[in-house]
Parts: sequence; C-alpha cells; structure tokens
Amino acid sequence: TELRLSHQWSGNDVRNKIAEMVAEDVAAANVDLTIRVFGSQSLFKAREQYTPLSRGQLDMTVLPLSYAGGQQPAYNLTLMPGLVKNLEHGDRLSHSPFMAKLEDIMADDDVMVLVHGYLAGGFGSNKGCITKPEDVKGVSIRAAGKSFEEMLAGAGASISSMASSEIYPALQTGVLDATNTSSESFVSYRLYEQLECYTPAGDTALWFMYQPMLINKTTFESLTPEQQTALTDAADKAEAFYLEEGKKGDEVARQTFADAGVKIADMTPEDFDKWLELAKTTAFPIFVSETPNGQELLDMALAVE
Amino acid sequence: MDPLTLALLVGIITIVVLFSGISVASGLLIVATGFLLVFDGVRSLASLPDLFFAELNSFALLSIPMFIIMGASIASTRAGADLYEALERWLTRVPGGLVISNLGACALFAAMSGSSPATCAAIGKMGIPEMRKRGYPDGVAAGSIAAGGTLGILIPPSVTMIVYGIATESSIGRLFLAGVFPGIMLVALFMAWSIYATWRSGDARVLSSTNYTWKQKFEILPKVLPFLAIILGVLYAMYGGIATPSETAAVGALLCIVIAVLIYRLWHPRDLWVILRDSTRESVMILFIIAAAGVFSYMLSSLFITQSIAEWIGTLDVNRWVLMAMINVFLLVAGFFLPPVAVILMAAPILLPIITVAGFDPIWFAVILTINMEIGLISPPVGLNLYVINGIAPDISLKTILLGSLPYVACMVLAIVLLCLFPGIATWLPDQVMGQGL
Amino acid sequence: MTDPALSDADPILVRMIRSVSELCGVIAALMILASVFITCQMIFVRLILKSSTFWQTEAVIYLVIAATLLGLCYVQRLRGHVGVDLVPGLMPAGARRILALFVLALTLLMAGVMIYYGFDTFHLAWSRNWKSESVWAFPLWIPYMTVPLGFALFFLQLSADLYMTVIGRDNPLAASMVPDVLPQKGDS
Ligand code: NA
Ligand code: NA
Repeated sequence: TELRLSHQWSGNDVRNKIAEMVAEDVAAANVDLTIRVFGSQSLFKAREQYTPLSRGQLDMTVLPLSYAGGQQPAYNLTLMPGLVKNLEHGDRLSHSPFMAKLEDIMADDDVMVLVHGYLAGGFGSNKGCITKPEDVKGVSIRAAGKSFEEMLAGAGASISSMASSEIYPALQTGVLDATNTSSESFVSYRLYEQLECYTPAGDTALWFMYQPMLINKTTFESLTPEQQTALTDAADKAEAFYLEEGKKGDEVARQTFADAGVKIADMTPEDFDKWLELAKTTAFPIFVSETPNGQELLDMALAVE
Repeated sequence: MDPLTLALLVGIITIVVLFSGISVASGLLIVATGFLLVFDGVRSLASLPDLFFAELNSFALLSIPMFIIMGASIASTRAGADLYEALERWLTRVPGGLVISNLGACALFAAMSGSSPATCAAIGKMGIPEMRKRGYPDGVAAGSIAAGGTLGILIPPSVTMIVYGIATESSIGRLFLAGVFPGIMLVALFMAWSIYATWRSGDARVLSSTNYTWKQKFEILPKVLPFLAIILGVLYAMYGGIATPSETAAVGALLCIVIAVLIYRLWHPRDLWVILRDSTRESVMILFIIAAAGVFSYMLSSLFITQSIAEWIGTLDVNRWVLMAMINVFLLVAGFFLPPVAVILMAAPILLPIITVAGFDPIWFAVILTINMEIGLISPPVGLNLYVINGIAPDISLKTILLGSLPYVACMVLAIVLLCLFPGIATWLPDQVMGQGL
Repeated sequence: MTDPALSDADPILVRMIRSVSELCGVIAALMILASVFITCQMIFVRLILKSSTFWQTEAVIYLVIAATLLGLCYVQRLRGHVGVDLVPGLMPAGARRILALFVLALTLLMAGVMIYYGFDTFHLAWSRNWKSESVWAFPLWIPYMTVPLGFALFFLQLSADLYMTVIGRDNPLAASMVPDVLPQKGDS
C-alpha cells in the first residue's frame, strides 16, 4: 500500500523532518506500507490540502489546522491568542478533552490526527519592540491568523493583508512596519535582514499554531492492524521529536536574529496577561459568535493548566 | 510503469496533442486529465477544478492583467508614437536604434515588474507595431520583445526569485541583487544581436536617412513626459514604500488609465472599452494557460515524474560541470512545458542539495535557473511570451516569432556559459552590498 | 475566412450563445477594472488613512479568478486561446475540419469534467457554508461557483463552434491560423 503525504515545507524544516521520519519508520517496520512525501507544495498548494484530505484524494498531510478555519470555525481556536503559554503547555492542550472535542469535529470530515504539535512564533518590528498591546498602536502590521488580526486591530494596529511572499519586500520598502508569524518563517523568509527588533518565543509567548500530521480516517481504517500499529508507533516517536525540535526552533530564531544584529525583546508574563485581556474583548467574542458551541470549546481550552 | 518511461510517454503525448492546434491551455488540461485518469484512477478527477482554482488563487497573478492594462492604455494613445518619435530623433544614427530603445524599455519595465509576460505585453503592445511600421524585420521586432520581456524575472523585482528564495531558504535581497548584472549583460547581448540583425537586413540605412537638428531633438522631449511620469510613478510606488511589488502593478494601471483619459483625451467610452477588451482577452488567455499548467504540473508531480527525473540526475556519478550541464538540460526541458514558478517549486528543493554538494553557490544557481526559465518562456509549446506576442501581433506567425527568438535564445545560452566561467557576474554585487554569504 | 462579426445568417441559437459570451466578456473586463480600483483603494487606506485592510486582497483574487473563468467563453468567441497551429496550417481543408471536430470534442469533454466536479466543490462549499479563512470570512460558494459556471459558458460557446464546424461554415482551427503559412480556402 502506498500513501501520499503532502505538505508545504522543504529541507530542514521540522515539519518536513517529521514527515520523512514517519515515512522512514513505517518503511522500516516492513508491513507493506510506504509513504511518499510530497514537500514544498509540489502536490497541493499550502492552503488547499484540507479539502482533498477530507475527500480522500490525499492520504496524509502536515498543516496548520487553522487553514481550514473557514470550513470548521472551531479550528480557529488552534491559532488563538492567549490560549497557549509555551510549547509544554501546548503539549498538554494536545492531550486534553479540548483537543478530543476538536478531533470529533475532524472525524466528521473523515480526518484524524497522527502527530499532535504546536509551533511558536513572535513579533518583528521596525517601529520599536512589540511586547505589549500599546506597542502596536498605529503600526502597520501583517499578522498570521484571523484571530490575531482581530486582536491587533483592537489594539489600534492597522492590519495589512498580503501574501507571505510579499512580507520581505514590504518590510524592506516600508509598506509594513511589523509582522507576526512563526519562528520558522521568521528564519526561512530571512526577515532578520529587514527587521530592527524581534520578540522571540520564550518562556512566555503569544503566538502558537497547532500544526498536526493528519490522515484521512477511512484510509487509516482500511489499513491492516499491523500497518496501523506501525503508523501510530512512528507517529508517537515523531511527536516527541516535534516537541523538542519546536523548542530548538525558537532558540535558533532568537540566535539567528541576535547574530544578525537585531535587537531582541522578551515578553513578560504581565505583558501576556495584557494581551489576554485584549483578546477577551476582541478575538474571543468574535470566535464565539461565529462558532457552534464556541463558548464551550473556548472554556475547555482555557481550562487546560 | 517506471516514472522515467512515463515521463517519456507524457512528453510525446503532450507534444502530439499540442501540435493538433488545440489551445495550449485546453491541451494541457486534457493531457493532465487523461494521465490522471489512467494512472491515478477516477478519484483524482474530482481534484481537477480545485487545482485549477488553487493555481489562480494568488494575489501575485494580479500583476498580469494590470501590466497588460498599462501597455494597452499607453498603446491606444499617442504616447507610444511620441516616445518612438523621440527615440528615433535621438537614436537616428545608431543602426537598429529603435530595437535598442525597445530592449532598454524592456529592461526598465523589468525593473518595475516581477513577471515576464507582463513585461513582454507592456512593451510589446507599443514596441512591435512601431518597429514594424518603421521597417524592422518581423522576426527582429517580435523576437527582441519576446526575449526582452523575459528579463522581467531576472532584473529585480522578480516573482520567481521570491519563490526560489522561499523554496530554498535563501536570501531574497541577495537573490534580487544577483540578478542585476546578469540582467544588464543579457540586455547588452540582446542589443548586440539586434544591431547586427538589423544592419544585415539593410533596413537600417533607410531608417537613418533622416537627420534631425538639435532643436527637433529637444522640442519632442516634453511629449515623453507622461511616459516618464508613469515610470517614475511606478518606481516610486515600488521603492518608496507605497505598495508591494504586486500592488504596484495596479498603481501603474490606474496611472496609465488616468493619463490616457486626462492628457491624451481618451474619454470616449468606446476607446476605454477597446483598452479593457484587449486587456481582458490577453489576460484571460494567459491566466487560463497558467491555471492549466498548474493542473499539468500536479499530474507530473502526482505520477512522480518531475521528482524522478531530478533524482535520476542526482544519482549520476559525473564531473560537476557535466552535472551542471545536465541540470541545465533538465531545467530547459521542464521550462519548455511548465511555467517558471512551477518548475522552481518542484525542482529547486530537489536540485538544491545536489547543487550544494557539488560545490555550486545557490544564489548563483538561482540566476542560472532563472535564465533557463527565460528560455522556456520563448520556446514552444508553453512559451508564455510567445503567446503574449501572438496576442499582440496576431498576423506575425508563431513560426516567425520562434525563428526571430532563436538568436536571443543563443544569447541566453551564451550568458549561462559566461556565468559558469565568471560566477562573479552574479555574486559580486550581493557580496558587496550584503557581505560574504553562506 | 468567416468573419465572426458578419454572421447575420447564422442560426439564432448560435447567435444567442455568442451574445452571452460577449456579455461575459464585458463582465470579466469590469471585474478586472474593479480589481485595479480595489487594489488602489487598499493602498490609499493603508498609506493615507492608516487603517486596516482586511478584505481587499481576497476580493481582488476572487475578482481575477471570476474574470478568468467568465472570460473563457468570450476569449473562445474571439478565437483568443492560442495554440500551436503549425500542423493544421499545413493540412488540406477537409483533414483540418476533421481535426477541428476532434479537438472540439476533446475540449468539450474536458469542459464537461470541470463542470461536473466543479459543481461538486461549489455544492460542498454552499451546503456546508464554507468561508474564506480571513477576517472578512467571504462565503466561498461564490468564487467556487465561477468554476462550473465559467466552464459551462465555455462549453456553450464550444458547442456553437462545433455546430458551425459540422455544417461547414466555420473552423476554429482556421481562425487562429497563421495567414502566411497557408491561405484559408474552402472553409466558408
Ligand atoms: Na523584474
Ligand atoms: Na516553453
């Protein structure tokens, strides 16, 4: 049996690594199962993977679940400010009743999770350092994620929507003052060449995105028990690796920016609380109004210690 | 079936289908559908419309209709005629003066546009009819613009360089700078050939028979002001922090429409409709090809054809320059069939490790790759610039455009050779500005 | 060569299809024009008003997609979809007509596939109320609808061309023909 796994990353990106890892471990298990990895959007475009996955045209993917937030508004909770404090906390969320609820929703789309995982991100700015809501007032920013845009707009920032490929030239020419995205993207887009101040993900951070490895549920169930075991064993191993590499990725980003001479600012727990208060009046109510059982899901997520 | 055998089969069938005279876009869709149906089963057909949609689901594509509108609105006014009148008065003693100013205009436009078909459309819209009117051979008129237009993806800004930078995690700023001198070198090579070809055809003497006084030369200059205003406006929008590269195209389009209406009094709705109609026809034609090529490249990737070819190259144990030559052939062939962005997205992540292991600089390689993609843009069956030219001047046959472009392809091959001999042409500027990299 | 403009004697249904295609051309052109204005408005809002631009990027993308798809039939009507016309140009008129019929039939089949499966996606987006994932949350069934709609209109125009080719009054392969390769004879 051959399964096709599509994702948007390449080379040394941790999300490519876990895909390769699972593929190798499954092959080594010798259960007549091969996973063919299509990286760098060579099969489906980054944002167009969830639909073919849920329709069984694609077997597996690694993707930010919030990309499918337009289909299942509940997924917007996987890129929501204030829900996750650090990667360890994200790991506890991944194995909480909250995530079980999300997995029920995924099951309705014929999708199931193989590898859980959050990745963190930060802020980069050319107009001072961004650590608390006051810092973004009047700043032209491109944010990754709908809920972040709503929160930042609430703090008085002006939100610019543009393709991720245009962030670099936009920062270079001054169309944008600041941006907010994952540590991995900050490095791979080489934004340290254009930014003056970087707020990395550390012990406290605001930006976390759930980026699991998913499989089509019917496809998974049609595998033999041996194949299923090989796949879940490989996935468990990859999940532990994913968590450790995620932390390293944040360190790499911090180091890369520091080496490039970019000023580094850190977010304090007090700053985090200010953002959370802001989110409670901006992104949270919008989420609740748009999502069936939104309040219940939000409360479940906030309840995870 | 072995992917390499499959690759051969796809190649042959694609050529046969496209040579039936079917439109390129429909042909690519049909071949893609057929192979997916046979080798991937019915379930893959359901993805086709989504893939088609996904390929168009990109803000960067906006620049194509926008730069076509720019060219179309300028072409429907006196601006083009004024510009060429001015250029002729100033370049009258240079054989092939007009073709040289056209190539210069292409290079200038390329510095405003990130896309090659857009550059080709904008300059060709004015340039080709003027050159033909003034006695330039059809082949030179069409070929120079087709080739000059390809500079859009070499001279910064460049959409494909951005895509390469993201796919390979290389510095986009460095990549942009790396394209500057190779771009200038290519322009010089194109100009040298154009001068020779025009001189050989004998028409140059007719062109240079009139002599203009300095008074005549200077009194025409104010008429060029609207054109300069557009160029400066677009450059300011792009580099002055007004807009991103894709958005700049819209500024340019609006600027051109406004100038056409206010300065050239083109306010009759019928005149405006002609601009819009022509732009729409060309834009839809090009966007249809891009979307279809996206589906086609999905098929190639899905059947593991692209990857297998690249991997096969990687496994060969040969001298690094033989390897580079083979990679060039692969890119060239891929470029024949696929639009640059698709080739880069599929090949760069696979080729990059091979390149770095063999000791080549990835920034330098981006320039080599881009010039290969430029050749692909003016070679059949999927040569977007050829079809842009065909749209602008339908009475010049594709054969004439092709034959006219061939010498310029030779210039590009020469440029690749020169870059292999003197990699500094690409790497010197980025090293100067941004320090020694990697 | 049959002049597409001088076709008063053509069947009423064919003329109606052509009118629909031309109307689609006008709509597509206006959509492209709208995307120019919206992009400039976005720049103005960001630069001068210093406020947020949530919806413009997506609106422009969807307008260009819709313009492309609705424009397919119009460009087919104008014979604006380019092809490699070397081989048909060298063929005698009879063989070229058979080739044209074959090409049209294949293109119709392809359009049919796109309509069928495109409708599927549209229906899914509509019945499940899919939104774009931005703050704007635009209903996705609208842009997705342009895929089956655009190909259906393309299908209609192709059918008209097929009919005209069958009765021998037109040949779509001849229309994009290179004049200096072979003069058209016996086609009209
Ligand atoms: Na350019
Ligand atoms: Na080509």
